[in-house]
Amino acid sequence: MILDTQDNPEREPLVLPRNEIGHQAILLNIVMALAYFFVIAFLFPVDSRILFAILILGELFHLWQIFTYLHTLWRKERPHAFNPEFQPGVDVFITVAGEPEEVIEETVRAATGMQYPNFTVHILNDGLVAGKANWREPRQVAKKYGVDCITRTMPGGAKAGNINHALAETHEPFAAVFDVDHAPHYDFLTKMMGYFIDPKVGFTQSPQYYRNHWMSGITGGAWEQQELFFGAICRGKDTMNAAFMCGTNMVIRRSALLEAGGMHETSITEDFLTSLFIHARGWKSVYVPEVLAEGLAPEDFRSYYSQQSRWARGSLEMVFRYNPLFKKGLTFSQRIQYLASSSYYLSGAVVFVNALFPLIFFYTGLEPFRASTMALATIFLPYIFLVIYTLQKSTNFSYTFRALGLSMSAFPIQMKAFVQILSGKKAKFVVTSKRKLSGNFAHLAAPHILYVAAAMIGMSYAVWHQGFTASVVDNIAWALFNIAAFTPFIMAALPAARPSRAIEPATAIQPAEKQAIS
Amino acid sequence: MKTALRTTDIATTLDTEVRSSHAAAVRTAALLVLFIGIAAVFSAVLFVNQSLRLDESQSLWQSSRSVWGTILIVSHDVHVPLYHLLLHFSEELFGNGVPTDRMLSFIFFAAAIPVMYKIGSYAYGRSAGIFAALITAVSPFLNWYGNETRMYSMLMFITVLNQYYFIKIYRERRGGWWWYGATALIGSFVHYFFALVLLTQALFYFTNKKLFPRHTLRNFFIVAAIIVIAMAPWFYLVKQSGTFANSSPGLAKPTSIDIFNIFSQFLFGFQTDGLNTIIVALWPLAMLFGFLLLQSRREVSPETAYFFMGFAIPILGAYAVSVIWSPVFLARYLTVAVPSLYLFVSWMLSAYPRAVSRAAKTALVAAMVAGVLVQGVSAATPVKEDYRDASEYLTANAEASDIVIISAPFTIYPVDYYYRGAAAIATLPAWDRYVIGPIPAFSSSTLPAQTTSLTANHDRAWILFSYDQGYQKNIKDYFDRHFQLLDTKNFSPGMTLYLYQIRQAPNLGSLLQVPIQITSSTATSSLSTAIASSTAR
Repeated sequence: MILDTQDNPEREPLVLPRNEIGHQAILLNIVMALAYFFVIAFLFPVDSRILFAILILGELFHLWQIFTYLHTLWRKERPHAFNPEFQPGVDVFITVAGEPEEVIEETVRAATGMQYPNFTVHILNDGLVAGKANWREPRQVAKKYGVDCITRTMPGGAKAGNINHALAETHEPFAAVFDVDHAPHYDFLTKMMGYFIDPKVGFTQSPQYYRNHWMSGITGGAWEQQELFFGAICRGKDTMNAAFMCGTNMVIRRSALLEAGGMHETSITEDFLTSLFIHARGWKSVYVPEVLAEGLAPEDFRSYYSQQSRWARGSLEMVFRYNPLFKKGLTFSQRIQYLASSSYYLSGAVVFVNALFPLIFFYTGLEPFRASTMALATIFLPYIFLVIYTLQKSTNFSYTFRALGLSMSAFPIQMKAFVQILSGKKAKFVVTSKRKLSGNFAHLAAPHILYVAAAMIGMSYAVWHQGFTASVVDNIAWALFNIAAFTPFIMAALPAARPSRAIEPATAIQPAEKQAIS
Repeated sequence: MKTALRTTDIATTLDTEVRSSHAAAVRTAALLVLFIGIAAVFSAVLFVNQSLRLDESQSLWQSSRSVWGTILIVSHDVHVPLYHLLLHFSEELFGNGVPTDRMLSFIFFAAAIPVMYKIGSYAYGRSAGIFAALITAVSPFLNWYGNETRMYSMLMFITVLNQYYFIKIYRERRGGWWWYGATALIGSFVHYFFALVLLTQALFYFTNKKLFPRHTLRNFFIVAAIIVIAMAPWFYLVKQSGTFANSSPGLAKPTSIDIFNIFSQFLFGFQTDGLNTIIVALWPLAMLFGFLLLQSRREVSPETAYFFMGFAIPILGAYAVSVIWSPVFLARYLTVAVPSLYLFVSWMLSAYPRAVSRAAKTALVAAMVAGVLVQGVSAATPVKEDYRDASEYLTANAEASDIVIISAPFTIYPVDYYYRGAAAIATLPAWDRYVIGPIPAFSSSTLPAQTTSLTANHDRAWILFSYDQGYQKNIKDYFDRHFQLLDTKNFSPGMTLYLYQIRQAPNLGSLLQVPIQITSSTATSSLSTAIASSTAR
């Protein structure tokens, strides 16, 4: 379904807001984070040395995450040169690998409707090399809309290989890239191309908006995660010339891409890695925070799981194979920002061990340290509430508990990706399904269900064994927190008790979202 | 025809809306009456017939004199006089007696319930308002002070009323200053800690100036000036009494645990140490409640920020003053923080997704009701002071040849209220209530002589300990070493009666050597000085 926001010049633009957190609040966050770390690292007597060491490692990682997030938030804006009269030729690539015809058609129709004087639409058809039965359908769509269809016959490099192949077949100085489920607005090119007036700009990127975010817990949670990323994080990265390509809704300068060696085919997050190489060669990037294309979030748990797996695997590859700290040509801020984004997926291990602490206490009585539970609360609660406030304020009150729960619950995905990289297992590019897969995906949430069961048994055991002591009650509360955080993930994995809403809201952009327009 | 139809439609729609709004108003009123009824049932069944507590006996004693006498005696105390004057007139109108005297506090408590609805619905809508009123009605903390002959329910009522008019100033941006000023002035005469409400409002104003209409600062200054002028004679009187410097209560310095305890007390009442430990050890759930607030587009409104400041500033401010200067950190003094906390909680729980919100609200109300019941029924409730049982026991068992010794000395007031026995009453340390000045400090060196004097002509000594001021163990140890312990009886937490066999021969002469306090209800105003410097209220 094409939304009126997509081709309606009267529509209000949806701009993901910049963060409004003040420097004082950022500094206070830093002080509180350090104070909290100091207290738990040095003031409490250690109980189990091993658990304490693991806890401290986890807390160091948290410090890294909070500091890099605050680093992202520090600057509010970076001025960019923009000339709406700059209208060079653009090849518009729509990458296809066996998706349904109607999905292709919708995006092609939107792309051909773009108001820009000089562009050619190409369907990059990988259906044949992907062995899809419907690989001829893109050709029919191309014929119907009078656009070009480039069908690969030699496999290799997945999506990156598809784009590289198309680059060899086309000639315009710029290429706009869309996943097949991301339909551009009529003004996509007019709002993206003007930045290339600066000859050092290598690529521009706009947000991935999920227009089906109202559909289910999964699509909603996925969009809320995106809002944090494409809001505060990408806008912050842009101030440091560290915004990276996100695979779709982007425009690349051909010369920059070729200088970086084309799209990197060795990674399953080719966009992320290619951005690193482009930046390393001194090119600039521009993040345009306005929604200029509308796409689809994974509609089922299996697809969401597979998308998260791909991102985790690809991002962690950057840490271990292309570590930005040691990449020549990057600025200090770019190194920090690339490492922050890629190392995010290590947080799964930290979530996992933190979740284990209450269980270990229930069954063994061991804790990382012995402290008056209230002494810990005195330092922890003000700190965590400040973090919550910062998160809310910096995302313009768009981040949700559901998104947080889904992020925390991704720990098995992230840990699996981590183990695969350490063991050198080769990754396979899996295209996120554009059709809702049905079925019971409870097995994907097995670690979380197991955790809930182990926690419930552990609570009973600890109460029976030790009574309602402060430590037991405290650990029960921690376990309940983890269970609450895992609940959205478990619920999404279980078969739906009732079908998801079939009726789309009247407008894709909800009134509340309009408040976010800046 | 079409026009006529349209007019009819509009009239019907308006009529339906009016009727529906009327029905909603009736439903709300019915709910509020129900909530007040619940509080009244709690009061009648659980609280009103409890024993008079130490602080209450002081209120009764202070307000039992003339208007000017009441003002004078309160000026020697750590409080401002408005509540005592109302109690004075209430006693004149309705007579005295513990249930009657407690009724005044209950009236303020009951009146606070609809006002909480008013401010809650004004800030967040009907549903949050009703929930705020409900948790007020079932609050163990407010039920306790709503049935105590003290000023705290009046303080709560005037605080919430004042906050309502404060919010109206910036929300409606016109007028409302008279009501705001009047409530601010009244609040200032109810309790000194009402100043924390005004301090919070000042801080909120200076951090949110844009919200307020023009001339706000000028109007605040006018209100402040009126309060200062109105209170000037009172401060002069307090200064003249010479007790201002001695008016700080004898409290221990708080620790960080006390901050959590105060939240626990505000929400779940005064529970035993064991239960309270369980409640405060659940603190990680506070983090969960915080994270659950992460809801798309749930921005923090100015009212929410104000209510947050409304409980955080008084609590942290009192804590800081207690640590840095002089301990004043006491839950009942901080009653001014309770309405803001309840309104903040109402907002928080209403902001959650519907299913979570319902579950959380139900759980909180259930826990609060359980808190009221346990607090009311359990003999182990830490704030219970069963002077009635202790005094009646003494009346029945102490003989004329015995002596009843009360420690700490100021606890003689509630015992005095109930005790009708034949044995004489004295205090340890020895104290003459009729002599101006503070209660004599305890001294180990004078303990033997004072004990000898007190017990000289008596066969047995009954010692009632309550309100340990740090020397209870010294007295107990001394008696254990020198006399035979015959019996022990506990009446409420911290209140224990010991009976000792005195082995000395009677010596009538020694009776004259120490001031022994005989039961009397004709104390003079000089006593207040002693109370003020020795007790924590």
